Amino acid sequence: MSSLSLNETPVRTSKSFNINNIKLTNLELPKVIQEFNNTQIVNASSKIIIEEKRTPISLKYGLGEEQTKQVQTEANQNYKIAIDSKVNKDTEINFNFDNNNNTLIDNIDILANEQTNATIILKYESSKELECYHNGVLKLYAKKNSRINIIIVNLLSDISNNFIAIENTIEENANVKYTIIDFGGQNTVTNYYSNIIGDFADNTLNTIYIGKDRQIIDLNYIAELKGEKSNINIEVQGALKDKAKKNFKGTIDFKKGCKKAKGEENENCMLLSETAKSIALPMLLCSEEDVEGSHSSSAGKVGDKELFYIMSRGFELKEAQKLLVRANFNKILENIKNEELKQKVLDEINWRLD
Amino acid sequence: MNKTLIEIKDLHVNASEKEILKGINLKINKGEIHVIMGPNGSGKSTTANAILNNPEYTKTQGSIVYEGEDISNLKTDEIARKGIFMSFQLPEEIPGISVTNFLKYAKNKITGEPVKIFKFKEELKKYMEELNMNPKYMERSLNVGFSGGEKKKNEILQMLVLNPKLAILDETDSGLDVDAIRTVSKGIEMFKNDENAVLIITHNNKILHSLKVDYVHVLVDGKIVTTGGQDLATEIENEGYGKYKIL
Amino acid sequence: MSKTKIEEFDRSIYNLKNKDNYDYKIQKGITKEIIEEISNQKNDPDWMRDFRLEALEVYNKLELPTWGPDLSELNMDEIATYVRPKTKLNNSWDDVPEDIKNTFYKLGIPEAEKKSLAGVGAQYDSEVVYHSMKDDLKKQGVIYTDMETAIREYPDIVKKYFMKCVPVNDHKFVALHGAVWSGGSFVYVPKNVKVDIPLQSYFRLNSPESGQFEHTLIIVEEGASLHFIEGCSAPKYSKINLHAGCVELIVKDNAYLRYSTIENWSKNMLNLNTKKAMIGKNAQVDWVTGSFGSKISMLYPLSQLNGEGAKTEYTGISFAGKGQNLDTGFKAIHNAPNTSSVVNAKSISKNGGKCTYRSLIKISPKAKNSKSSVSCESLMLDDISVSDTIPVNDIQTDEVEFSHEAKIGKISDKTIFYLMSRGLSEEDAKAMIVRGFAYPISKELPVEYAVEMNNLINIELQGTIG
Repeated sequence: MSSLSLNETPVRTSKSFNINNIKLTNLELPKVIQEFNNTQIVNASSKIIIEEKRTPISLKYGLGEEQTKQVQTEANQNYKIAIDSKVNKDTEINFNFDNNNNTLIDNIDILANEQTNATIILKYESSKELECYHNGVLKLYAKKNSRINIIIVNLLSDISNNFIAIENTIEENANVKYTIIDFGGQNTVTNYYSNIIGDFADNTLNTIYIGKDRQIIDLNYIAELKGEKSNINIEVQGALKDKAKKNFKGTIDFKKGCKKAKGEENENCMLLSETAKSIALPMLLCSEEDVEGSHSSSAGKVGDKELFYIMSRGFELKEAQKLLVRANFNKILENIKNEELKQKVLDEINWRLD
Repeated sequence: MNKTLIEIKDLHVNASEKEILKGINLKINKGEIHVIMGPNGSGKSTTANAILNNPEYTKTQGSIVYEGEDISNLKTDEIARKGIFMSFQLPEEIPGISVTNFLKYAKNKITGEPVKIFKFKEELKKYMEELNMNPKYMERSLNVGFSGGEKKKNEILQMLVLNPKLAILDETDSGLDVDAIRTVSKGIEMFKNDENAVLIITHNNKILHSLKVDYVHVLVDGKIVTTGGQDLATEIENEGYGKYKIL
Repeated sequence: MSKTKIEEFDRSIYNLKNKDNYDYKIQKGITKEIIEEISNQKNDPDWMRDFRLEALEVYNKLELPTWGPDLSELNMDEIATYVRPKTKLNNSWDDVPEDIKNTFYKLGIPEAEKKSLAGVGAQYDSEVVYHSMKDDLKKQGVIYTDMETAIREYPDIVKKYFMKCVPVNDHKFVALHGAVWSGGSFVYVPKNVKVDIPLQSYFRLNSPESGQFEHTLIIVEEGASLHFIEGCSAPKYSKINLHAGCVELIVKDNAYLRYSTIENWSKNMLNLNTKKAMIGKNAQVDWVTGSFGSKISMLYPLSQLNGEGAKTEYTGISFAGKGQNLDTGFKAIHNAPNTSSVVNAKSISKNGGKCTYRSLIKISPKAKNSKSSVSCESLMLDDISVSDTIPVNDIQTDEVEFSHEAKIGKISDKTIFYLMSRGLSEEDAKAMIVRGFAYPISKELPVEYAVEMNNLINIELQGTIG
């Protein structure tokens, strides 16, 4: 058993607010990392080259020293992905956890060359009973004028531990869109850092999470705007039931020189039980005058009026709640164009809200 | 006595490095009402903004002579204090500053004389009645939460209070219903005398049904292509701008 | 050209320096001997002497905060924590020594007292030099006096509440306050008594390389109400001054308290202040705060909503200029059902100044059907300044309505053009927009203070625009 202190916020606030980092105790970290051999790659082509190759990692933030070091030294899946032109079909990497493959340390490095266009789906999936451990690093470099769409789907069991650290560098006029569906894990901890350096660079991050039982969800999103007229848009929609707990830390940092940049962050947490807990720290940091920044954060139960309306149409309470949660998730779910995957996510939402 | 109030000569203006006005010539005498009509994007609002020297626009050539003085390089507030007023197409909202306080302050800036609050409020109330404005608006924050029509009336109110020599009304009639347009026309008639002038900028001629004007100019692609009397507006109403468009 | 108010207002009244003409000034530093000497000088009762020494121990154990502004330039060995002016407590301005009286006259305190206040306390360095209240309030049982008198004359009440609301171990500067506190005001409003006209305490620090540590304790009994105003200022010196005051507000069931502050410390002041209100059933506390002065401020008033139906509102503005780091905000802890909190925070940063809004809204599992809404707006006046928003929202139950909104940006060029087209110069236009921005706060203040705040805004805007 060990304890970890992870996901430090870029700026500290009072210790007594319990949000500067997350401390996980009684964590069973894998001592020996076995091989992971159940990965399925769909639609790799000459335009998108996927090599099993280790790239050295350094991260500005990351989850914490130990987690980063584990990926640096012990990764059992390494992919170097180069996008060389416009790719029409989604490329998928599916990590299928099973009894023989229950520990994944992945190191994924994506380079999107100039003028390219691609969608990459990363799916982490296990059966409901399997205890898994996932610790991964995803680095993306988006060159000028590239358009990259990344979808990460966490469908691990609720007795798993899921850790992901993402770092993006976004050049001039590049457009990077992330959709993160974050469901599984006793603990699921995500660090997301975008270094938006190019003029007119654009980054969107959409996240959906559902917490049940005693799940702990910790999200630490950081976007630094450096390019002129660059843009960040963060939208997080979640629902918590039972004794689940969520920490959301979202930082938009307007660095000097990012004239006319825009940053927007919207976080909404639906509370479906009186014992669920939601902490949010939506930070705006600003050292540039000519910018537009805004954030909004809200929490509460699903509206009584809406519930009544839907129940008056014959839905029972739980169904009505589900419908309203789904309604809040819908806009983000539309980012998933792959119908099969979308159905899978919808089924998971239904199961989790039952 | 020289009756020329303003004379614009060969005015060229850029917005974001694109040439919008390509040589405008326009002379307005005291006592006249002029109208500039033209399709969307022809440069009508640019003309108004250029006269007030909006820093978003750059003059590349030509001159604007007002009462014998070239004002083309003066700052906006200096131009305003010389007696030129512009009614905005989209008036800005200023939270925390009431209509009364704002106008009192602006009046003081324009006239350079102290404003007597009681008399001033009476005057304001009178004008608001004429314009069918709710007197409660006097204490509301400037334009905050005003409907489109209320904002336009508030612009006319400001014109009446500040009493300029040249009033430029930029699309003041757009988006208004018939009653509101009539109110605006009434405001213009109240304002108008032999010593001042009005320049109306519009893309339709609804307001001309309830107002008599002296000259109508048609602006197409940054140039005045023709000038006439009220008849020209009627012609445009019936036939559109088609015949003036450069093929 | 017409002159604007900007030129008419004179900052020098705040900067008026008197000779450091004290009756007693303790040696610099903070040791057990120094604390004991303060107790001797102040003729503390035994319980207070023990209290100070215990607080000192806590102070020595606690660390500096690991967050917020850098406090490394504070060296307690360079601060004299007790400076007694050359006078006793007076109840007539005529008895106050000339130089001190002059200072308060220039600050406009006796004039405000005549016009719009029901009582005034004036502190100079470490001791209160003037205290007075209207007779009709005395007759109704209202007590308004300095803390030293309160300890002598109302020991039971003071002992019951003193540093119970804000415990000594809250943070390092509260512990320091507990050890060296001196001066401040004590207010007691009996059951159902409504004090309609405000009371005001003014704190003036004159002595260089010293600190002010006044303690304000206000008890508003059931069904009573009070408006209390606090003002503070100091002349500017080249070396650091320290202010570590403490405000404890006990507002009982169905009572109401409005606590207004105009803070204008000099720009060599570290303002590390602590304020907290305990709010009973259906009671309400409203904070109205304007922060203009100091080099560094760390100030986050806390409303603890303990009784069912308790309410609180925070309306605050910070204006940071060159060399200033104002880290301010608010904390609300909802501990009972049907409680509500409303926050309206604004900040303006210019000329390299830094404003941080830092907050906590905590809705505990007991606080069913509670509501909280927070709105923050930050205005950047140039590209060398900084503005950060660091709000923590801790929601621990589902029957709540919680919303938080924040915006950051500059004054739009379009708005400036609009105002200039009405004859206002660019400076006037910007000043008008900033005053409008601050209006939701100034409208909550009594007229004279709203005028003072607008004047301070004008002073702050001077020389930075154009």
